[in-house]
Amino acid sequence: MKKLMNGMAGMGVDRRTVLKGGTAAAATAAFGGGFGMRPASAATSMRYMCWEGYDKESIIGPFEKANDAELSIDLITDSAGGFAKLAAGGYRDFDVVSSDSPWIARMGPAGICEYLDDEEFADAYASFYPQFRAPFAPLQFEGKATGLPTRWGWVGPTVNTKFDKLETWSSYDPCFDPAYKDKICVLDWGDWPIMPMALHAGINPYKELDDAELKEIRKVLRALFKNTRALVGDLSVAQKGLMDGSFRALIGGGTYCTSALRKDGNDHIMSIVPEPKDGLNQGIIWMEATGVLKGTDNPDLAKDLVRHMVSPEVSVDLAWTEATCNLVPSQDAEDLFSDEQKSVLQMDYMWEAWDKSQFHDIAPNVDEMLAIFQEELAAAN
Amino acid sequence: MADQRKSWRDRGLMLATLPVSALMLFFFLVPLGLTAALSFQSTKYYRVVWSWDTGTWIDVFTHGHYWSIMLQTITMALACVALCIIISLPVAYALVNRMRSVENHVKVLIVFAFLTDAVLKTFGWVLFLDRTGVMNGMLETIGFGPAATDILFNPGATLLGMVYNLLPYTIFTIYLSLARIDRDLVLAAYDAGASRLRTFWEVTLPLSRPGVIAGGVLVFVLSLGVFLESKVMGGGTSPMAAELIRQTFETRVNWPLGAALTLVVIAIGVLTLGGAGALFLHLNSRKGTA
Repeated sequence: MKKLMNGMAGMGVDRRTVLKGGTAAAATAAFGGGFGMRPASAATSMRYMCWEGYDKESIIGPFEKANDAELSIDLITDSAGGFAKLAAGGYRDFDVVSSDSPWIARMGPAGICEYLDDEEFADAYASFYPQFRAPFAPLQFEGKATGLPTRWGWVGPTVNTKFDKLETWSSYDPCFDPAYKDKICVLDWGDWPIMPMALHAGINPYKELDDAELKEIRKVLRALFKNTRALVGDLSVAQKGLMDGSFRALIGGGTYCTSALRKDGNDHIMSIVPEPKDGLNQGIIWMEATGVLKGTDNPDLAKDLVRHMVSPEVSVDLAWTEATCNLVPSQDAEDLFSDEQKSVLQMDYMWEAWDKSQFHDIAPNVDEMLAIFQEELAAAN
Repeated sequence: MADQRKSWRDRGLMLATLPVSALMLFFFLVPLGLTAALSFQSTKYYRVVWSWDTGTWIDVFTHGHYWSIMLQTITMALACVALCIIISLPVAYALVNRMRSVENHVKVLIVFAFLTDAVLKTFGWVLFLDRTGVMNGMLETIGFGPAATDILFNPGATLLGMVYNLLPYTIFTIYLSLARIDRDLVLAAYDAGASRLRTFWEVTLPLSRPGVIAGGVLVFVLSLGVFLESKVMGGGTSPMAAELIRQTFETRVNWPLGAALTLVVIAIGVLTLGGAGALFLHLNSRKGTA
């Protein structure tokens, strides 16, 4: 089976090739007056794996038009799953990928993504905030970049200030306070709720952990589940509970959960970052990045798509999507946001959040932590 | 009428079912075989390593929480089966015997509810049962305080969702069994002086057994795979097997472990089907010798 797959890959038979062939066939049919087939509308086909929002027509459409290209979109619902799909050989089917930065960073050494020359993207980096300029460490491996940052935000308690003061959430203590029993919503988004709890326990989860530290994480998760009303994977359920007060805080979310509500005029919903504890920053900065997949047939066009995604105008569009609103690394884009948009994105708070946060990465012990999370959840009821 | 059923060894029958059997073999057994093969591999940096070892199975058998989730799933599935049968029996009985004039209308309504997307129905329940939902709103208007009930986000809510979504399976299987009962047998029981309750207990209920068993097995097997109800209505705090498998595949990206857990759930389903089949044969043989 493996041999067969390798053989097919060796022959270059992948979806990217099939798509290309399909375009050629459609072109032939259209030229020959074939009926019932959609004539080829673009000279080049590319496949793009990305999060929701990157696929907006207002973002993709102009790129397709300007480059006479047709983009097939494949939306990912979780970064780890997207990585697994690409790592299993799926990278041969795609040209460009936008996912969470730790996964993009890992795609370089894993041989899935092409390394990008920072010099080639000098203009793009020049338009970024200084914090994101080249060489941008979180996306570097041995001095080479795997992708460019495209969106970011922070993870911290998401609070409805109609019910709670922000000062109450200057630490994660309320998560364990009996007064908040059955009022905490934990987001079921992989390691996102685990990392803040580890930080609260005084453990940096992004370094190699020993047994004693894993035990501490187990304890803090056990205590968290005692107060947890629901473990929610669906953003709308979490947001509804937060709005009506049945959830007093969302844990493991942050700006990703907040901005769409703030966009609808709910300024009283805020995501903050707890104060540093024992010298350990309690917030987490998450970031998405865009990279070019290994062996793409259109390397130049793929790089153009990366440039397109980080251009100031597209950055504003990318920041402002229907489901969520997020910050972008482009400093030049800041002037293009309206005051209302800046308020929704909590731009006045972003650097404070940055300063009080860790940068999200793939934790060496993430599988053990996820297993502990599963075990404690099963034991909680 | 002579029994015209053909033996499964009949060549014509075997030939006629060959395409379906081949399809089933290819699209069911081959993926199942691949799943079994995957369960003997390992992962490194989120990638499957073809190591051919039993590490994953050792992991499955040495971690108690997998089995506590399996046990919770079986318990919930059994509770769901019991509730579905208890609710379906009177409904099906009424459809056959007491509601002949509106029988078709009721059946259409049940089919409509059955065909409505489960996601829609489940989220509908959330809006209805939420602390600030429709039900509490109605209770508040008739004098109860705000948020009078708090039904969501517990195992009870999961069970409610499961029963609601799976009820049509037992209603229709029991209905079909009841509809096939020879009315003369019931009338004969009445003629012999049996009360309605005794007639139901000694004639109707035993004759509806195939439908009860078929419906029960269907609901049990489907219950093993539910995840929407436990995730959305149950609030995810009491995970069931399907959710455990999803987490293992998607969140932990541990495909060998996910495959092994999948096989465990399939084994539970197969053993249940085997047990139900044996029970059915046993009951039939007792009926034959009586």
